[in-house]
Amino acid sequence: MLRATLRGFLAHKGRLLLSALAVVLSVAFVAGSLIFSDTVSRTFDRLFAATSADVTVEPRQDLTSAVPTGVVQTVPADLARRLEGLGGVAAAHVDVAVRDAVVVDAAGTPVGPTTGAPTIASNWEPTRRSPVRLTSGRAPHGGGEALLDADTARYRGVRIGDVLTVQAQPGSFRVRVTGIATFTTTNPGSARLFLDTPTAQRRLLGSTGRATGISVDAARGTSDTALRGRVEAALGPGRYDVRTAAEHAKSAAADLGGFLKVIKYVMLGFAGIAVLVGVFLIVNTFSMLIAQRTRELGLLRALGADRRQVRRSVLTEAALLGLAGATLGLAAGVGLAAGLIRLLSAFGMNLRTTDTVVAWSTPVAAYAVGVGVTFVAAFLPARRAAAVSPMAALADAEVAGVGRPLRVRAAAGAALGAAGAAALAGCAASGRAATAASLLGAGVVLTLVATVVAGPLLVRPLIRVLGGAFPALFGAVGRMSRRNALRNPRRTGATAAALMVGLALVAGMSVAGSSMNRSFDRRIDRTLGADFIVQNRNFLPFPAEVTARVRGTPGAGVVVRQRFAAVAVALPDGRRVETTASAYDPRLDDVAHLTYASGGTGAALAAGHVAMDAGFARGHGVRPGSVLPFEFQGGRRARLTVGALTDQGDTEAFGVQGGLFLGLGTLERYVPGTPDAAVYVNAAPGTAPALLRSRLERALAPYPQVQVRDQADYKKLVHDQIAVLLYLVYALVGLAIVIAVLGVVNTLALSVVERTREIGLLRAIGLSRRQLRRMIRLESVVIAVFGAVLGLALGLVWGLCLQRVLALQGMTALAIPWGTIATVVIGSAVVGVVAAVLPALRASRMNVLTAIAHE
Amino acid sequence: MPTPAAAPGAVPAERAAARARGLTKAYGTGETTVLALDAVDVDIARGRFTAVMGPSGSGKSTLMHCLAGLDTVSAGRVWLGGTEITGLRDRELTRLRRDRVGFMFQSFNLVPTLDALENITLPLDIAGRRPDRDWLDRVIDALGLRDRLKHRPAQLSGGQQQRVACARALASRPELIFADEPTGNLDSRAGLEVLGFLRDAVDRLGQTVVMVTHDPGAAAHSDLVLFLADGRIVDGMEHPTAESVLERMKRFDAIRGAYEGDGSAGAAAAAGDTARAAALPAERDPATSADGTGGATEEV
Repeated sequence: MLRATLRGFLAHKGRLLLSALAVVLSVAFVAGSLIFSDTVSRTFDRLFAATSADVTVEPRQDLTSAVPTGVVQTVPADLARRLEGLGGVAAAHVDVAVRDAVVVDAAGTPVGPTTGAPTIASNWEPTRRSPVRLTSGRAPHGGGEALLDADTARYRGVRIGDVLTVQAQPGSFRVRVTGIATFTTTNPGSARLFLDTPTAQRRLLGSTGRATGISVDAARGTSDTALRGRVEAALGPGRYDVRTAAEHAKSAAADLGGFLKVIKYVMLGFAGIAVLVGVFLIVNTFSMLIAQRTRELGLLRALGADRRQVRRSVLTEAALLGLAGATLGLAAGVGLAAGLIRLLSAFGMNLRTTDTVVAWSTPVAAYAVGVGVTFVAAFLPARRAAAVSPMAALADAEVAGVGRPLRVRAAAGAALGAAGAAALAGCAASGRAATAASLLGAGVVLTLVATVVAGPLLVRPLIRVLGGAFPALFGAVGRMSRRNALRNPRRTGATAAALMVGLALVAGMSVAGSSMNRSFDRRIDRTLGADFIVQNRNFLPFPAEVTARVRGTPGAGVVVRQRFAAVAVALPDGRRVETTASAYDPRLDDVAHLTYASGGTGAALAAGHVAMDAGFARGHGVRPGSVLPFEFQGGRRARLTVGALTDQGDTEAFGVQGGLFLGLGTLERYVPGTPDAAVYVNAAPGTAPALLRSRLERALAPYPQVQVRDQADYKKLVHDQIAVLLYLVYALVGLAIVIAVLGVVNTLALSVVERTREIGLLRAIGLSRRQLRRMIRLESVVIAVFGAVLGLALGLVWGLCLQRVLALQGMTALAIPWGTIATVVIGSAVVGVVAAVLPALRASRMNVLTAIAHE
Repeated sequence: MPTPAAAPGAVPAERAAARARGLTKAYGTGETTVLALDAVDVDIARGRFTAVMGPSGSGKSTLMHCLAGLDTVSAGRVWLGGTEITGLRDRELTRLRRDRVGFMFQSFNLVPTLDALENITLPLDIAGRRPDRDWLDRVIDALGLRDRLKHRPAQLSGGQQQRVACARALASRPELIFADEPTGNLDSRAGLEVLGFLRDAVDRLGQTVVMVTHDPGAAAHSDLVLFLADGRIVDGMEHPTAESVLERMKRFDAIRGAYEGDGSAGAAAAAGDTARAAALPAERDPATSADGTGGATEEV
C-alpha cells in the first residue's frame, strides 16, 4: 500500500506543485521570521553585553510619554569623581549621549539616517567597550571638532575637514570633522557624532556640570553586582538607576526588542495569512485529485484495500507533501532571513553576523506548520476518498455537477453567521471601547468562518448574477464559462475564499483608515485656527532657535508654542493615570477653536492650573476646581487646580488619554527647558499668508527637520501617518493575494486536466484556441470577482463595526472608500485574467485527438 | 501517382464531399516509423452514407481524422468539397470543422454543463450564427428530442445522448458528417436507432455521412463500405448486408492470420469482432429493422 501511495504521489507531483509552493511560502515566512528575529536579537544581545560598562549610573526613568517630550534627563557630572574614590572602582567617567540631534552639512542637508533611526551625539571616551574605533584622522579636541561614524560619512559623502552644523537643544554650533570612527560591532542603524567630553557637556547639555550617565569599571576582583551595591549605597538608594552590565544590556535589548518584536509579529502575520490561504489551496488540490482518481481508488477498494488504508494513503501523501514543502520552506526561510538582514543593512543597520542563528525551535515550527497544514487540509478529502465505494471502479466517473448536497454547510454557516452577526451588532451597539473591540474580534472571526463555510452556497446565486451578462456578451463561450464556474460550488467557493480573506481585510482596514482620515480632517477643521504650524515630520521637538526664527520673521503675528510633558496624575477615584499633557502659550484662542464645558482658555492656562476633557473628568470624579496631585518627568511634584473642562469629544487618539493641557509657564516651572514641539503662527494683519509662508520657509531653511504646514498640509501629514499603517496591512494582504492567485491558477489548471476530453470535443466541433482561452479566462474572472465581492461585503461590515469602535474613541466620522472598492473589484478581474494565462495556454495547446481519447 | 479514376467509389470531383489523393500518415521516425495510412486515394460521394471498416489498427480512424481536418497528414492532399484542407492552419481548420463538418464520437459527445438544446446549437453558437429555426425543428423532431431539450447530458440515457450528438452534427447542415464508432457504446436497440437516424439523414435530409465502425451490422446500413487494411483501402462494397460484410471481414482475418503467421493478437481481436458481428443479425434482421425505425421517425 505504501508503495502504491508513493507511486501515486510521484505520479501526481506536477499537480501538487502549487500546493507545495503554498506550503513552502507559509513555512518560509514562519522560519524566516524566527531565524531573523533570533539572529538579530542574538546580535544585539552580544553588542550590548560587549559595550555596557560594568556598572552604569543613569537618571531615574520615572515617566514615559507616548509622544516624545524632548526632555534630556541628566545626572551631576561630579558623580564620576565621587565614585572614582569608592572601593572596588577602577575607573568612572561621564557619559554624554543625546539622541535626536540634528546634524546638517554646509549645504543644509541632514547628515544622518533617512530611516527614522536616531542621530546620536556623544562624548568621545574610547574604552575597550566602545562600539567604534578611530580609523582615520584624529580624536576631537576643543569646541570646534568632531568625529563622524564611517557608515554615515560614506553614505552622506562627508570627509575629514568638512564643516557640519549640530542643532542641539541649547543651540546650534559648527564643528569640523577631524576623524572617522568605524563600528567594530553591529551598527544598530543610528548615525554617531563624537565631541570631546567638555564640549559635549556644554554644547549638548548646556552645562559642563551635567552628564547623561556615569560608566563605572570594577577593579579586579570586584563583581558587577557587588560594585552596584556599593555605588547604590554611596549615591543613596533609589535616586538613580544603577545597573550592572548584564542588567544594562538586558534593558537596552528590551528597548530595541519592542522594535524587533514588531518586525517579528508582522512577519508571523504574513506567515499566518499564508498558512490560512494555503489551506484553501491544498484542500482544493486534494479534493480534485481524489475526484479525478475515484476509479483508481474504487479499484483499490475492490482489490481489498479497506477504508482506513485508503484514508491513510491520502494522508500519507499529504504528509509527504508537507515534509517536502517544509524542507524547502525551511531552506527558503534561511534565505529570507538573510535577505532581510541584507535589507536592514541597506537601511544602515549593519548586522555583522557571521552566523545565522537557527534555534532548535525553528525547524520544529517549520515542520509542524508544513506537515500540520497539509494534514489538516487533506483530512476532509481523505475521508471523502475513504468513502469511495468499490463500485466506483466500474462506474463511469464523468460526473458533471456537485456530489453531495450542502445541507450541513448551510446549517453550520447559518449558525456561525448568526453568532457572528450578533457579535458585530453587539459591537456596534456597545458603549465601551474595550467591550466593543472584543466583540468586534469575535464577530470578525465568526463571520469569516461562516462565509468560508457557506461560500459554496453563495456560488450559485452570486455567480449567476456576476456572470449574468456573459451569454449576451460572449455567446456560447460566455455561457460555458459561467456554467463551468458553477459546476462545482465547493471548488469555486474554496478558490474564491482564499481571495476573499485578503480582500475582506483590505476593505475593513480601508474603511477604518478613511474614517480616521475624515475624523482627523474634521477635528483639524474644527479646532485648528492657525495659519501655519511649524513642526517636525514625526512630532519630535526642535531647538529653541527655530521658534526664535519664526518670531523674528517679518509679518508673523501671533505665535503660540506647544510643548509636551509626560505626567502622572492621581485622580479622585483612586486611579493613577500616566499620560502626555500639552502646554501652550496664553494666546491659544487665536490659533485654536476650543469649546469648553466649564471655564475657558484663560482659566485653563493660568499658573498652577490645568484643563482636561469633560468626559474624562466625569469618568474619574474630577470637578472644576478640583486640586489634583501631579508628577512630572524628572520627579517634580505639584498640586494643580482644574481650571477648565473641554468639550471636544475626541481626545483619546495616539494613546494620549484625558486631553490634559496647561499653561507653558506652569510646565516651565516644573520641567524647565522642555523644547518646543510645535509653533502655531498667524499672519500679522496686513500680511498675506502666502507671503508669510515663503518668508517662514526661507527663515527655516537651515533647519531641514522642521516644515511649515497650513491646514491642508497638516491634514496630509496626518493622512500619511495613517497610510503607513494601511500600507503595512496592504503588504500583508499582498502576500495573501499572491497565494490566492496561485489558488485560482491551481484550480483552473486542475480543472483543465479534468476536462481534457470536453476540451478536445469542443475543439473538434469548432471552438477556436482563442475562444477556448477566453472561456477559461472568463471562468477565472468570474471566480475572482466572486471572491472579491464576498470579501468586500464582509470587509465593509467589519469596517463599519470597526468604525463604531473608533467612534467610541472620538473618531466619529464614517467614510466608505468607494475608490478603493472599485479598484479592488477591477483589480480582482485583472487577477482573474492573470491567473488564467497559464491554464488557458495549456488548454489551447492540447492536441485535439489525444484530448478526445484522454481517459 | 494514382489516377482519380482508380480511387474506390470514385465520383466526379464536383460530386465529391471529400477527396484524398496519396494520403499518407506516418507515426514515429526512422526505424520505428509506422504507416497508419499508406498513399490512400478516396472519394466520398455527396449525399451518400459511406462506412469505413477494417480490423483494429487498419487506419480507419486515422483516415476519418485526416479527412475531417482533425489530424495533420504526412503526405498527400485532402479536399473538403472544393477546399483543399492540407496546408491549412489551425485557425482555418477549426473554422472549417465548425462550419462545414459535423461530428459524432463513440462517447463523451456532449458538454456536460450545457442542456440538450444548447449542445445541439453549440457549433452555431460558437460561430455566432443564428440557427435556421425550421431546419432545427425538423432535426429535433426527426430525432424525437422535443421533450428532452432542457435535460443535461447526465439526465439522458446513452442512446439519447447519441441522438443529441446526431442532432448537433446535423444542426448546422454541414457538408459532411463524420461518425466515429457512434454505436460502439450503445446497446443494440439504441445502436440501431442511431443508425436509422443516420440513414434517414442521408435519405430524407440529403446529408453526407462517413461512419467508422468495426461492426458489420452497423456497416450494413450504409450505401458503400470501404475496407481498410494496413493503411490501404483494399476493397469497396456497394449495398452491403451484414452477412456480406462479415464474409469479407473473415477473408481479411484469414489473409492476415496466414500472412502474420502467429498473429495471435490480431486473430483474437478479429475473433472478438466476429463474435459481436455474428450476434447482431441473430437478434434482428438489419435490413428490416432499418426500415422499421426509419418508418417510425418519418411520421413526425
